[in-house]
Amino acid sequence: MTETFPFHSEQKAGLLQVRGERENAVRDIYIESYGVRIRFSVNNRSALEAVEGILPVALPGDCFRFIEKTEVGHHFELILDPADEDKGCNFYRNGRQVPNDHSRLDVLRGFESQIRLTVAEHAVERVFVHAGAVVWKGRAIIIPGNSFTGKTTLTAALVRKGAEYLSDEYAVFDEAGDVHPFLKTLSVRGVVDEFTQTEIPVEDFGGRRAHGKFPIGMVLITEFQAAAEWRPLRLTPGLGVLEMLPNVVPVRYDPEFTLKVLNRVAKRAIITKTFRDDAAKCAESVLDYFESECLKNQGF
Amino acid sequence: MINSQNPVARREGLVIQEMPEEVLVYDTNTNKAHCLNQTAAFIWKACDGSNSVKDISKLVGDEFGGAVSDDFVWLAIDQFNKDNLLQEKVETKFEGFSRREVIRKIGLAAVVALPVVASLAVPNTVLAVGTCVRVQCCAPSTTGGATCPAGSPPSTCPSPCVCPATGNPTLCT
Repeated sequence: MTETFPFHSEQKAGLLQVRGERENAVRDIYIESYGVRIRFSVNNRSALEAVEGILPVALPGDCFRFIEKTEVGHHFELILDPADEDKGCNFYRNGRQVPNDHSRLDVLRGFESQIRLTVAEHAVERVFVHAGAVVWKGRAIIIPGNSFTGKTTLTAALVRKGAEYLSDEYAVFDEAGDVHPFLKTLSVRGVVDEFTQTEIPVEDFGGRRAHGKFPIGMVLITEFQAAAEWRPLRLTPGLGVLEMLPNVVPVRYDPEFTLKVLNRVAKRAIITKTFRDDAAKCAESVLDYFESECLKNQGF
Repeated sequence: MINSQNPVARREGLVIQEMPEEVLVYDTNTNKAHCLNQTAAFIWKACDGSNSVKDISKLVGDEFGGAVSDDFVWLAIDQFNKDNLLQEKVETKFEGFSRREVIRKIGLAAVVALPVVASLAVPNTVLAVGTCVRVQCCAPSTTGGATCPAGSPPSTCPSPCVCPATGNPTLCT
Protein backbone atom coordinates (compact mmCIF):
# COMPACT_ATOMS: atom_id res chain seq x y z
CA MET A 1 0.00 0.00 0.00
CA THR A 2 1.24 3.45 -0.82
CA GLU A 3 0.14 6.45 1.14
CA THR A 4 0.94 10.09 1.40
CA PHE A 5 0.15 11.47 4.81
CA PRO A 6 -2.20 14.44 4.87
CA PHE A 7 0.18 17.16 5.98
CA HIS A 8 0.03 20.79 5.12
CA SER A 9 -0.47 21.38 1.43
CA GLU A 10 2.81 23.22 0.92
CA GLN A 11 4.63 20.18 2.18
CA LYS A 12 2.87 17.68 0.01
CA ALA A 13 5.10 18.13 -2.97
CA GLY A 14 8.08 17.10 -0.92
CA LEU A 15 6.47 14.21 0.83
CA LEU A 16 7.68 10.72 0.44
CA GLN A 17 5.49 7.99 -0.74
CA VAL A 18 5.54 5.95 2.43
CA ARG A 19 5.40 2.24 2.00
CA GLY A 20 4.91 -0.60 4.39
CA GLU A 21 2.54 -1.65 7.08
CA ARG A 22 4.50 -0.31 10.04
CA GLU A 23 4.72 3.24 8.79
CA ASN A 24 1.02 3.40 8.08
CA ALA A 25 0.12 1.98 11.43
CA VAL A 26 2.19 4.39 13.48
CA ARG A 27 2.07 7.64 11.59
CA ASP A 28 0.53 9.23 14.67
CA ILE A 29 1.99 8.81 18.12
CA TYR A 30 0.24 9.91 21.28
CA ILE A 31 1.94 10.59 24.56
CA GLU A 32 1.04 11.92 27.96
CA SER A 33 3.45 13.74 30.21
CA TYR A 34 2.46 15.49 33.46
CA GLY A 35 -1.14 15.30 32.30
CA VAL A 36 -0.35 16.94 28.96
CA ARG A 37 -1.49 14.93 25.96
CA ILE A 38 0.36 15.43 22.72
CA ARG A 39 -0.08 13.95 19.28
CA PHE A 40 2.89 13.59 16.97
CA SER A 41 2.46 13.11 13.26
CA VAL A 42 5.30 12.03 11.03
CA ASN A 43 5.66 11.71 7.28
CA ASN A 44 7.95 8.69 7.13
CA ARG A 45 9.89 6.14 9.07
CA SER A 46 12.91 8.40 9.61
CA ALA A 47 10.71 11.03 11.18
CA LEU A 48 9.09 8.41 13.35
CA GLU A 49 12.48 7.23 14.57
CA ALA A 50 13.53 10.81 15.18
CA VAL A 51 10.47 11.42 17.38
CA GLU A 52 11.03 8.17 19.23
CA GLY A 53 14.64 9.14 19.83
CA ILE A 54 13.89 12.70 20.90
CA LEU A 55 11.08 12.01 23.36
CA PRO A 56 13.20 10.38 26.11
CA VAL A 57 15.67 13.25 25.80
CA ALA A 58 13.04 15.98 25.82
CA LEU A 59 11.08 14.39 28.65
CA PRO A 60 13.65 12.43 30.67
CA GLY A 61 13.31 10.22 33.69
CA ASP A 62 10.26 8.22 32.63
CA CYS A 63 8.10 11.32 32.71
CA PHE A 64 6.10 10.43 29.63
CA ARG A 65 4.20 7.40 28.41
CA PHE A 66 2.73 6.37 25.10
CA ILE A 67 -1.05 6.34 25.10
CA GLU A 68 -3.82 5.24 22.77
CA LYS A 69 -5.31 7.63 20.24
CA THR A 70 -7.20 10.28 22.16
CA GLU A 71 -8.25 13.91 22.29
CA VAL A 72 -5.16 16.06 22.65
CA GLY A 73 -4.40 19.67 23.42
CA HIS A 74 -1.24 19.81 21.35
CA HIS A 75 -0.14 18.54 17.99
CA PHE A 76 3.36 18.37 16.54
CA GLU A 77 4.18 17.36 12.99
CA LEU A 78 7.67 16.43 11.92
CA ILE A 79 8.50 16.38 8.24
CA LEU A 80 11.79 14.87 7.11
CA ASP A 81 12.96 14.78 3.53
CA PRO A 82 15.39 11.87 3.11
CA ALA A 83 16.65 13.39 -0.13
CA ASP A 84 18.08 16.32 1.81
CA GLU A 85 19.86 15.11 4.93
CA ASP A 86 21.49 18.45 5.61
CA LYS A 87 18.33 20.51 5.73
CA GLY A 88 15.08 18.87 4.66
CA CYS A 89 13.48 19.09 8.07
CA ASN A 90 10.47 21.06 9.24
CA PHE A 91 8.06 20.93 12.08
CA TYR A 92 4.71 22.39 12.92
CA ARG A 93 3.27 23.14 16.31
CA ASN A 94 -0.51 23.15 16.46
CA GLY A 95 -0.70 23.73 12.74
CA ARG A 96 1.76 26.60 12.66
CA GLN A 97 5.07 26.06 10.98
CA VAL A 98 8.06 26.92 13.10
CA PRO A 99 10.17 28.89 10.65
CA ASN A 100 13.70 27.85 9.89
CA ASP A 101 16.26 27.51 7.18
CA HIS A 102 18.79 25.68 9.26
CA SER A 103 20.36 22.27 9.52
CA ARG A 104 18.41 19.19 10.41
CA LEU A 105 20.23 18.92 13.73
CA ASP A 106 19.29 22.46 14.71
CA VAL A 107 15.68 21.94 13.75
CA LEU A 108 15.50 18.71 15.74
CA ARG A 109 16.96 20.49 18.75
CA GLY A 110 14.29 23.14 18.39
CA PHE A 111 11.68 20.40 18.11
CA GLU A 112 12.96 18.82 21.32
CA SER A 113 12.93 22.18 23.08
CA GLN A 114 9.35 22.87 21.97
CA ILE A 115 8.10 19.53 23.25
CA ARG A 116 9.67 20.17 26.63
CA LEU A 117 8.33 23.70 26.74
CA THR A 118 4.82 22.57 25.85
CA VAL A 119 4.80 20.12 28.74
CA ALA A 120 6.37 22.66 31.09
CA GLU A 121 3.76 25.27 30.29
CA HIS A 122 0.67 23.08 30.38
CA ALA A 123 1.56 20.48 33.03
CA VAL A 124 -1.37 19.60 35.23
CA GLU A 125 -0.93 20.37 38.94
CA ARG A 126 2.73 21.16 38.46
CA VAL A 127 4.66 24.40 38.16
CA PHE A 128 7.80 24.26 36.08
CA VAL A 129 10.44 26.81 36.95
CA HIS A 130 13.40 27.24 34.64
CA ALA A 131 16.12 26.52 37.19
CA GLY A 132 19.01 24.41 38.26
CA ALA A 133 18.06 22.28 41.25
CA VAL A 134 19.89 20.12 43.77
CA VAL A 135 19.20 18.52 47.12
CA TRP A 136 21.32 19.18 50.17
CA LYS A 137 20.60 17.39 53.44
CA GLY A 138 17.09 16.54 52.40
CA ARG A 139 16.02 19.96 51.15
CA ALA A 140 16.00 21.42 47.69
CA ILE A 141 18.03 24.40 46.58
CA ILE A 142 16.89 25.89 43.31
CA ILE A 143 18.66 28.42 41.12
CA PRO A 144 16.18 30.04 38.74
CA GLY A 145 17.70 31.74 35.78
CA ASN A 146 17.67 32.28 32.09
CA SER A 147 20.19 30.66 29.81
CA PHE A 148 23.68 32.12 29.93
CA THR A 149 23.37 33.07 33.61
CA GLY A 150 25.66 30.20 34.64
CA LYS A 151 22.87 28.07 36.07
CA THR A 152 24.24 24.76 34.82
CA THR A 153 27.79 25.64 35.86
CA LEU A 154 26.69 26.35 39.41
CA THR A 155 24.47 23.28 39.51
CA ALA A 156 27.43 21.14 38.42
CA ALA A 157 29.64 22.79 41.05
CA LEU A 158 27.09 22.00 43.75
CA VAL A 159 26.92 18.42 42.55
CA ARG A 160 30.71 18.20 42.76
CA LYS A 161 30.41 19.32 46.39
CA GLY A 162 28.13 16.38 47.08
CA ALA A 163 24.66 17.77 46.45
CA GLU A 164 22.21 15.38 44.78
CA TYR A 165 21.10 16.36 41.31
CA LEU A 166 17.50 17.26 40.47
CA SER A 167 17.88 19.17 37.20
CA ASP A 168 19.77 21.83 35.33
CA GLU A 169 16.64 22.85 33.42
CA TYR A 170 13.47 22.70 35.49
CA ALA A 171 12.55 22.62 39.14
CA VAL A 172 9.13 20.97 39.11
CA PHE A 173 6.88 22.05 41.98
CA ASP A 174 3.77 20.19 43.03
CA GLU A 175 0.74 21.86 44.58
CA ALA A 176 2.22 21.63 48.08
CA GLY A 177 5.39 23.39 46.94
CA ASP A 178 7.64 20.33 47.05
CA VAL A 179 10.28 19.94 44.35
CA HIS A 180 10.40 16.97 41.98
CA PRO A 181 13.34 16.01 39.75
CA PHE A 182 13.55 16.62 36.03
CA LEU A 183 16.50 14.36 35.43
CA LYS A 184 17.97 15.41 32.14
CA THR A 185 21.65 15.33 31.35
CA LEU A 186 23.46 18.57 32.11
CA SER A 187 23.69 20.87 29.10
CA VAL A 188 27.20 22.23 29.41
CA ARG A 189 28.66 25.00 27.31
CA GLY A 190 32.35 25.50 26.76
CA VAL A 191 33.19 21.98 25.64
CA VAL A 192 32.86 22.64 21.91
CA ASP A 193 32.56 26.44 22.03
CA GLU A 194 30.94 29.03 24.21
CA PHE A 195 27.52 28.55 22.64
CA THR A 196 27.08 24.88 21.81
CA GLN A 197 25.67 22.73 24.56
CA THR A 198 27.13 19.30 25.24
CA GLU A 199 24.98 16.83 27.13
CA ILE A 200 26.85 15.30 30.06
CA PRO A 201 25.38 12.81 32.54
CA VAL A 202 25.52 13.93 36.17
CA GLU A 203 27.55 10.83 37.00
CA ASP A 204 30.42 12.28 34.96
CA PHE A 205 30.62 15.06 37.55
CA GLY A 206 30.84 12.46 40.29
CA GLY A 207 27.25 13.23 41.18
CA ARG A 208 24.15 11.21 41.78
CA ARG A 209 20.52 11.72 40.89
CA ALA A 210 17.92 12.49 43.51
CA HIS A 211 14.68 10.56 43.44
CA GLY A 212 11.39 11.46 45.04
CA LYS A 213 10.10 14.82 46.14
CA PHE A 214 11.83 17.28 48.44
CA PRO A 215 10.74 20.22 50.54
CA ILE A 216 12.11 23.48 49.24
CA GLY A 217 14.89 25.01 51.32
CA MET A 218 16.31 27.87 49.34
CA VAL A 219 15.74 29.79 46.14
CA LEU A 220 18.94 31.43 44.97
CA ILE A 221 18.60 34.21 42.42
CA THR A 222 22.07 34.65 41.00
CA GLU A 223 23.99 35.14 37.86
CA PHE A 224 27.60 35.24 36.85
CA GLN A 225 29.41 38.56 36.96
CA ALA A 226 33.17 38.69 36.72
CA ALA A 227 34.84 39.62 40.02
CA ALA A 228 31.52 39.67 41.86
CA GLU A 229 31.56 38.79 45.53
CA TRP A 230 29.13 36.57 47.37
CA ARG A 231 26.84 39.10 49.06
CA PRO A 232 23.54 37.37 49.71
CA LEU A 233 20.56 39.64 50.11
CA ARG A 234 17.53 38.00 51.67
CA LEU A 235 14.35 38.93 49.81
CA THR A 236 10.87 39.14 51.25
CA PRO A 237 8.56 36.34 50.05
CA GLY A 238 6.69 38.70 47.73
CA LEU A 239 9.77 40.21 46.16
CA GLY A 240 11.31 36.75 45.95
CA VAL A 241 8.37 35.44 43.96
CA LEU A 242 8.52 38.53 41.75
CA GLU A 243 12.18 37.77 41.01
CA MET A 244 11.32 34.18 40.17
CA LEU A 245 8.45 34.97 37.81
CA PRO A 246 10.44 35.54 34.59
CA ASN A 247 11.54 31.91 34.86
CA VAL A 248 8.20 30.45 35.83
CA VAL A 249 6.93 28.83 32.67
CA PRO A 250 3.16 28.48 33.26
CA VAL A 251 2.50 31.86 34.86
CA ARG A 252 0.78 33.31 31.81
CA TYR A 253 -1.15 30.14 31.12
CA ASP A 254 -2.41 29.54 34.66
CA PRO A 255 -1.49 32.45 36.95
CA GLU A 256 -3.92 31.45 39.68
CA PHE A 257 -2.50 27.99 40.33
CA THR A 258 1.04 29.17 39.72
CA LEU A 259 0.91 32.00 42.24
CA LYS A 260 -0.75 29.75 44.81
CA VAL A 261 2.12 27.27 44.52
CA LEU A 262 4.78 29.98 44.54
CA ASN A 263 3.22 31.47 47.66
CA ARG A 264 3.68 28.10 49.38
CA VAL A 265 7.25 27.93 48.13
CA ALA A 266 7.99 31.43 49.43
CA LYS A 267 6.54 30.64 52.84
CA ARG A 268 8.86 27.67 53.28
CA ALA A 269 12.02 28.80 51.54
CA ILE A 270 14.53 31.51 52.04
CA ILE A 271 14.90 33.51 48.86
CA THR A 272 18.27 35.11 48.35
CA LYS A 273 19.82 37.22 45.64
CA THR A 274 23.46 37.83 44.80
CA PHE A 275 25.87 38.01 41.91
CA ARG A 276 28.58 35.39 41.78
CA ASP A 277 31.97 34.86 40.24
CA ASP A 278 33.72 31.49 40.35
CA ALA A 279 31.17 28.64 40.50
CA ALA A 280 33.22 26.33 42.73
CA LYS A 281 33.80 29.07 45.30
CA CYS A 282 30.18 30.11 45.06
CA ALA A 283 28.98 26.52 45.59
CA GLU A 284 30.84 26.43 48.89
CA SER A 285 29.32 29.76 49.94
CA VAL A 286 25.86 28.57 48.91
CA LEU A 287 26.07 25.46 51.03
CA ASP A 288 27.53 27.30 54.04
CA TYR A 289 24.85 29.95 53.79
CA PHE A 290 22.15 27.36 53.31
CA GLU A 291 23.21 25.47 56.42
CA SER A 292 23.45 28.58 58.59
CA GLU A 293 20.36 30.40 57.33
CA CYS A 294 18.03 27.60 56.40
CA LEU A 295 18.79 24.29 58.02
CA LYS A 296 19.63 25.59 61.49
CA ASN A 297 16.72 28.03 61.59
CA GLN A 298 14.34 25.35 60.47
CA GLY A 299 15.51 22.87 63.07
CA PHE A 300 17.47 20.52 60.85
CA MET B 1 -9.10 60.21 35.05
CA ILE B 2 -11.51 61.18 37.79
CA ASN B 3 -11.09 63.72 40.50
CA SER B 4 -12.61 61.54 43.15
CA GLN B 5 -11.54 61.36 46.74
CA ASN B 6 -12.86 57.81 46.94
CA PRO B 7 -10.59 55.56 44.88
CA VAL B 8 -11.71 52.06 43.99
CA ALA B 9 -9.26 49.16 43.68
CA ARG B 10 -9.53 47.20 40.46
CA ARG B 11 -10.33 43.51 40.79
CA GLU B 12 -11.26 42.42 37.28
CA GLY B 13 -8.49 40.71 35.35
CA LEU B 14 -6.29 40.43 38.40
CA VAL B 15 -5.07 37.34 40.20
CA ILE B 16 -4.43 38.27 43.80
CA GLN B 17 -2.29 36.24 46.14
CA GLU B 18 -2.09 37.22 49.79
CA MET B 19 1.34 36.67 51.26
CA PRO B 20 2.33 36.96 54.92
CA GLU B 21 3.09 40.69 54.80
CA GLU B 22 2.64 41.52 51.13
CA VAL B 23 0.16 41.09 48.34
CA LEU B 24 1.13 39.77 44.96
CA VAL B 25 -1.04 40.88 42.06
CA TYR B 26 -0.89 39.45 38.56
CA ASP B 27 -2.54 41.45 35.81
CA THR B 28 -3.78 39.02 33.18
CA ASN B 29 -4.42 41.86 30.73
CA THR B 30 -0.84 43.12 30.69
CA ASN B 31 1.02 40.09 32.09
CA LYS B 32 2.58 42.30 34.70
CA ALA B 33 3.12 41.25 38.29
CA HIS B 34 3.11 43.64 41.22
CA CYS B 35 4.26 43.14 44.75
CA LEU B 36 2.60 45.51 47.21
CA ASN B 37 4.35 45.88 50.53
CA GLN B 38 2.30 45.76 53.68
CA THR B 39 1.40 49.45 53.65
CA ALA B 40 0.59 49.60 49.96
CA ALA B 41 -1.51 46.46 50.29
CA PHE B 42 -3.44 47.92 53.20
CA ILE B 43 -4.17 51.14 51.32
CA TRP B 44 -5.14 49.24 48.17
CA LYS B 45 -7.61 47.12 50.12
CA ALA B 46 -9.01 50.25 51.72
CA CYS B 47 -9.76 51.65 48.27
CA ASP B 48 -13.29 50.26 48.24
CA GLY B 49 -15.14 53.34 47.04
CA SER B 50 -16.52 54.15 50.47
CA ASN B 51 -13.30 55.57 51.92
CA SER B 52 -11.91 58.97 51.04
CA VAL B 53 -8.17 59.56 51.06
CA LYS B 54 -8.58 61.23 54.45
CA ASP B 55 -10.45 58.16 55.74
CA ILE B 56 -7.70 55.91 54.44
CA SER B 57 -5.00 58.04 56.10
CA LYS B 58 -6.79 57.56 59.40
CA LEU B 59 -7.19 53.82 58.82
CA VAL B 60 -3.47 53.52 58.08
CA GLY B 61 -2.64 55.41 61.26
CA ASP B 62 -4.93 53.18 63.31
CA GLU B 63 -3.57 50.00 61.74
CA PHE B 64 0.13 50.77 61.94
CA GLY B 65 0.16 52.91 65.08
CA GLY B 66 1.42 56.21 63.70
CA ALA B 67 -0.36 59.15 62.13
CA VAL B 68 0.26 59.58 58.41
CA SER B 69 -0.61 62.50 56.15
CA ASP B 70 -2.91 62.38 53.13
CA ASP B 71 0.20 62.67 50.98
CA PHE B 72 1.26 59.30 52.28
CA VAL B 73 -1.90 57.78 50.81
CA TRP B 74 -1.63 59.82 47.63
CA LEU B 75 1.83 58.41 47.15
CA ALA B 76 0.35 54.91 47.07
CA ILE B 77 -2.50 55.99 44.82
CA ASP B 78 -0.01 57.53 42.43
CA GLN B 79 1.63 54.12 42.08
CA PHE B 80 -1.73 52.34 41.74
CA ASN B 81 -2.54 54.75 38.91
CA LYS B 82 0.68 53.93 37.10
CA ASP B 83 0.21 50.19 37.53
CA ASN B 84 -3.44 50.28 36.56
CA LEU B 85 -4.54 48.89 39.90
CA LEU B 86 -7.55 51.18 40.26
CA GLN B 87 -10.87 50.88 38.47
CA GLU B 88 -10.38 54.45 37.27
CA LYS B 89 -7.29 56.56 37.52
CA VAL B 90 -7.48 59.21 40.19
CA GLU B 91 -5.84 62.60 39.91
CA THR B 92 -3.22 62.73 42.63
CA LYS B 93 -2.66 65.79 44.80
CA PHE B 94 0.76 66.56 46.10
CA GLU B 95 -0.07 70.19 46.83
CA GLY B 96 2.67 71.67 44.68
CA PHE B 97 5.33 69.14 45.57
CA SER B 98 6.96 66.74 43.14
CA ARG B 99 6.64 63.06 43.89
CA ARG B 100 10.29 62.92 44.88
CA GLU B 101 9.81 65.80 47.29
CA VAL B 102 6.79 64.10 48.76
CA ILE B 103 8.73 60.90 49.29
CA ARG B 104 11.52 62.85 50.95
CA LYS B 105 9.11 64.77 53.15
CA ILE B 106 7.06 61.75 54.15
CA GLY B 107 10.03 59.45 54.40
CA LEU B 108 11.80 61.62 56.92
CA ALA B 109 8.81 61.91 59.18
CA ALA B 110 7.02 58.62 58.69
CA VAL B 111 6.87 56.02 61.42
CA VAL B 112 5.06 53.74 59.02
CA ALA B 113 6.95 52.17 56.10
CA LEU B 114 6.34 53.98 52.82
CA PRO B 115 3.90 52.27 50.47
CA VAL B 116 5.87 50.56 47.71
CA VAL B 117 4.71 48.67 44.64
CA ALA B 118 7.42 46.66 42.87
CA SER B 119 6.46 45.64 39.35
CA LEU B 120 7.73 43.34 36.68
CA ALA B 121 6.59 42.43 33.19
CA VAL B 122 6.45 38.67 32.81
CA PRO B 123 8.03 37.52 29.55
CA ASN B 124 6.30 34.92 27.46
CA THR B 125 7.31 31.31 27.89
CA VAL B 126 9.65 31.45 24.94
CA LEU B 127 11.74 34.06 26.67
CA ALA B 128 11.50 32.17 29.93
CA VAL B 129 13.24 29.27 28.26
CA GLY B 130 15.77 31.67 26.90
CA THR B 131 18.01 29.68 24.65
CA CYS B 132 17.32 29.57 21.01
CA VAL B 133 18.97 26.79 19.10
CA ARG B 134 19.96 29.12 16.35
CA VAL B 135 18.87 32.63 15.74
CA GLN B 136 18.30 34.16 12.37
CA CYS B 137 19.11 37.82 12.75
CA CYS B 138 17.58 40.50 10.61
CA ALA B 139 15.87 40.27 7.30
CA PRO B 140 18.16 39.56 4.34
CA SER B 141 17.17 42.86 2.81
CA THR B 142 18.51 44.84 5.72
CA THR B 143 21.68 43.12 6.80
CA GLY B 144 22.24 40.20 4.52
CA GLY B 145 20.50 37.81 6.88
CA ALA B 146 23.30 37.29 9.34
CA THR B 147 22.90 34.15 11.39
CA CYS B 148 24.03 33.95 14.98
CA PRO B 149 25.87 30.85 16.16
CA ALA B 150 23.85 28.09 17.73
CA GLY B 151 22.73 29.00 21.21
CA SER B 152 23.69 32.64 20.94
CA PRO B 153 22.53 34.75 23.84
CA PRO B 154 19.93 37.27 22.78
CA SER B 155 22.26 40.13 23.70
CA THR B 156 24.68 39.19 20.93
CA CYS B 157 22.12 39.44 18.16
CA PRO B 158 20.97 42.60 16.44
CA SER B 159 17.24 43.00 16.21
CA PRO B 160 14.85 42.13 14.76
CA CYS B 161 15.43 38.40 14.93
CA VAL B 162 13.43 35.27 14.44
CA CYS B 163 14.09 32.13 16.40
CA PRO B 164 13.39 29.09 14.22
CA ALA B 165 12.62 26.98 17.26
CA THR B 166 9.94 29.31 18.48
CA GLY B 167 9.04 31.62 15.66
CA ASN B 168 9.35 34.47 18.12
CA PRO B 169 10.36 37.60 16.29
CA THR B 170 11.46 39.48 19.39
CA LEU B 171 13.69 36.93 21.05
CA CYS B 172 16.83 38.90 20.47
CA THR B 173 15.61 42.40 21.02
